[in-house]
Amino acid sequence: MNKIITYGLLIISSFSFAQELPSLVLKDLDGNDINLNTLVESENIFVFSFWATWCVPCINELDAISEVYEDWQDETKVKLIAIATDDTRTKKRVRPMVNGKGWEYLVLYDDNQDLKRALNITTLPHTLVLKNQKIIQRRTGYNPGVEDELYEIIKENSN
Amino acid sequence: MRKITLFIVLIHFSFSIHGQTIDGLSVGFESNSTWYNDDKKTGDFADEANKDQDEHFRANNYLKIDYNFLSKLTASVQIESYEPFALLNYSTNFEGTNLGTYSLSYKTSNIDATIGHFYEQFGSGLILRNWEDRQLGINNALFGGKVSYRLLDVVDLTAVYGNHRVGFETSDGTIFGFNSEFELDSVFKWDEIALNIGFSYVGREDKIDLENPNYKPTTNAFSGRVDFNYRNFYSSVEYVTKSEDAIVQVNQVSNDFIKPGNGILFNTGYSKRGFGLDATFRRLENMSFYSNRKKSGNIFFENIINYTPGLTKQHDYLLTNIFVYQAQSAVSFLDPALLKAGEIGGQLDFFYNIKKETLLGGKYGTKMAFNAAYWAGLKGAFDYANQDYETEMFGFGSKYFSDVSLEIRKKWNPKWRSIFYYVNQYYNKKEIEGNFGAKPIVTNIGVIESTHKLGNGKSIRIEAQKLWSDSEKHDWIGGTFEFNLSSKISFYINDIYNNGDDSSTAKTHYYNAGGSYTKGATRVGLNYGRQRAGLVCVGGVCRFVPEATGLTATVTMAF
Repeated sequence: MNKIITYGLLIISSFSFAQELPSLVLKDLDGNDINLNTLVESENIFVFSFWATWCVPCINELDAISEVYEDWQDETKVKLIAIATDDTRTKKRVRPMVNGKGWEYLVLYDDNQDLKRALNITTLPHTLVLKNQKIIQRRTGYNPGVEDELYEIIKENSN
Repeated sequence: MRKITLFIVLIHFSFSIHGQTIDGLSVGFESNSTWYNDDKKTGDFADEANKDQDEHFRANNYLKIDYNFLSKLTASVQIESYEPFALLNYSTNFEGTNLGTYSLSYKTSNIDATIGHFYEQFGSGLILRNWEDRQLGINNALFGGKVSYRLLDVVDLTAVYGNHRVGFETSDGTIFGFNSEFELDSVFKWDEIALNIGFSYVGREDKIDLENPNYKPTTNAFSGRVDFNYRNFYSSVEYVTKSEDAIVQVNQVSNDFIKPGNGILFNTGYSKRGFGLDATFRRLENMSFYSNRKKSGNIFFENIINYTPGLTKQHDYLLTNIFVYQAQSAVSFLDPALLKAGEIGGQLDFFYNIKKETLLGGKYGTKMAFNAAYWAGLKGAFDYANQDYETEMFGFGSKYFSDVSLEIRKKWNPKWRSIFYYVNQYYNKKEIEGNFGAKPIVTNIGVIESTHKLGNGKSIRIEAQKLWSDSEKHDWIGGTFEFNLSSKISFYINDIYNNGDDSSTAKTHYYNAGGSYTKGATRVGLNYGRQRAGLVCVGGVCRFVPEATGLTATVTMAF
C-alpha cells in the first residue's frame, strides 16, 4: 500500500502546476461577504496567511509583519489577508485580538475550515503568495526572519 | 485495496491526457508514524484497545486529492491508511487502508451541491457541525447529499441529509437538517449596521430496539440566531432546543429518564484599534446529541452531531494544559453525590496595546491579553431516586472550573522579544471527571518566553515554566530550548517534571527532543520523547491519551 501512495505522490510531484483559489465566499470581521476570486482580481501581490488565535508562531509572524507592513505596502502595494481558522471555541476572540494588536490586515473567518481544507493545509501557520490569481509560493511554519524571505519573494514578483 | 489501485491508475491516466495543464488539482499528504518503545521508567509498550503488544510501529497516512474540472465541478477523495494499526488512542474503527471520504461537488455563484462526504456547520455548531481533526482522530463527515442556494444575495438556504462517517463505515442513525441565514442589513440597505438572523433545524432518526419505548426514534433540534454589528460594537445570541429523548449514561439508554435539552449562547464586545473587549455567556442543559444514542459521550467523538467546546482560553504552554476544562453538556446521574444536567458560565477577554513612545509602551509598544473564565453546574432540584430534575434558568450550581490569565508581549529591541504569561486555575476534578476521591485543585502557573534573533535566519527561543498548587501532588517545573538554524531547519528540546507526590506522574521526566525541516509547503519532523498521560486538546475538544514513549516521524506536503 505504501508503495502505491509513494508512487502516486511521485507522479503528482513530477508535475509543476499553478493553483488558483477555490471559489468561496468568506465573512469579514464586520459580517460582510467577501468573494475570494473577486478579492484577488488585480495585478498586485496578495499574501494569504492562515492563522488562529491559539497558534503562537502564527501570531509571532503576523506581529512581525505588522511592524513593517506599512513599508511593504508603500513599496509593493502588497495586500495581506489573514484567514482566521478559529472554530466556534475561539472565533469570538479573533476580532478583539486583531483590533487589540492593531493589525491592518483584512481578516476573514474560515470557522469550519472550508478554505483550509480545499487548499489541503494541515499545519499552521501556512502562507500563500498570489500573483494574477495564481498561487506562486506556499510555506508552512514560522521561524523568526521568515518574514524577510517572504518580502524578498513579494519584491521579486511585484511590478 | 483494489479500489485504490484503480484510483491511482485513473489519476495517472487523466494526467497523461491533460499533460501539464492540470490547473485544478490540489493535493495534500500527511503521514504520522511512531515507533513505540518499552520504557524502563513507565512500563512496556501495550495497546489495550487492539490487545496488541507486538506491533511497535504504527502509522497514520492521509492522502487527499481535489480536482476541479469543467470549471464548476470538483471531485474530492481522501485515502487513509492505518497500518498495521492506528497510532495509540485512535478508535479501532480506523483500521487498514481504505477510502476515507469521497465527494463530487457542483458550484456556481448561487448553487453549491455535493454528493458523497461533506462537512457542514449550522451557526456556531451548537446544533450541527461536521469536521475533521486528524490529531484527535475525529472525522464525523456526513455521507449523503447537501444543497445550498443563495437567493438575491441576501438569503442562504442549505439542506443536508446523510449518515455519519464512523471509521470507514457509516452510522445507522440518519441526520437531516435545514439552515437559513438572512442578511437583513442588505435588504434594508443599512450601511453602518450589520444584522443577520438565522434559523436551523436538525433531525436525528435512530431506531429503538425496545418493545414499549417512552421516547421517539426521531429527535428534533431547532436553533434561532441573531448577529448584530454597529461600528465598533457587536453582539450575538443563539437559542437551541432539543426535543425529549432518552438519557444515556455509560452506554445505557434509559427508558424511564426522558428529558428535553436546550442551550443559550450570548456574546458581546467592543473593539477599536489598540483595544478589544469581549464577553461570552453560555448555558447548556442536556445538549449531548449523537447519531447513535448508545454512543453518547464516547471518548472518540464518533457519531457526534453538535459542537459544544469548552469556552475557556486555549493555553499554549505544556504546564498550562495539565488541568483542562471540557464542556459539561450531558446529564449524569451516576451517584447521588454527583448529579449533573449541564453547565453555566462564561468568559471575558481583554486585549490592549500600550502605545509606542509611552512610559509602559517603550520604543515598540507593549501588547497585553487578559482572560477570565468561570464555569459551574446547573442549579436545580435533582431527584436521584426517581431519576428526574428541574433546573433554574440562571442559577449557578457547584463550581467546576475557573481560569484567569494575563499575557504580556514585549519587544525590547530588534533582536530580543519576550512573552510573560501567568495563569491561575481552579479545577474541580470530582465534578468534571466524576472522580469521587478527588479534591478541587488550585494552581498558579508562570511562564517566561524569550526569542533572540542571531542574524542570517538563526534564532533561539527559550521557555521557562513553573506550576505551583495547593496540593502536595502537583509541583511542576518545565522548560523548552529551541534553535532555529535557518528559516528551514530547527531543533528543540523540552522537559516537564513533577516534584509533587502524584502517584502517576511524580519524579518522571516527560521530555521531548526533535527537529524539523521545512521547504515551501513540505515539512518533515522527527521527534523522540515521553508523552504524559492526559488530555490532548485541539479547538476545545480534548481526548485522553495514556502514557507512551517513542520515536515519531511526521511528513506534511501540499501541492
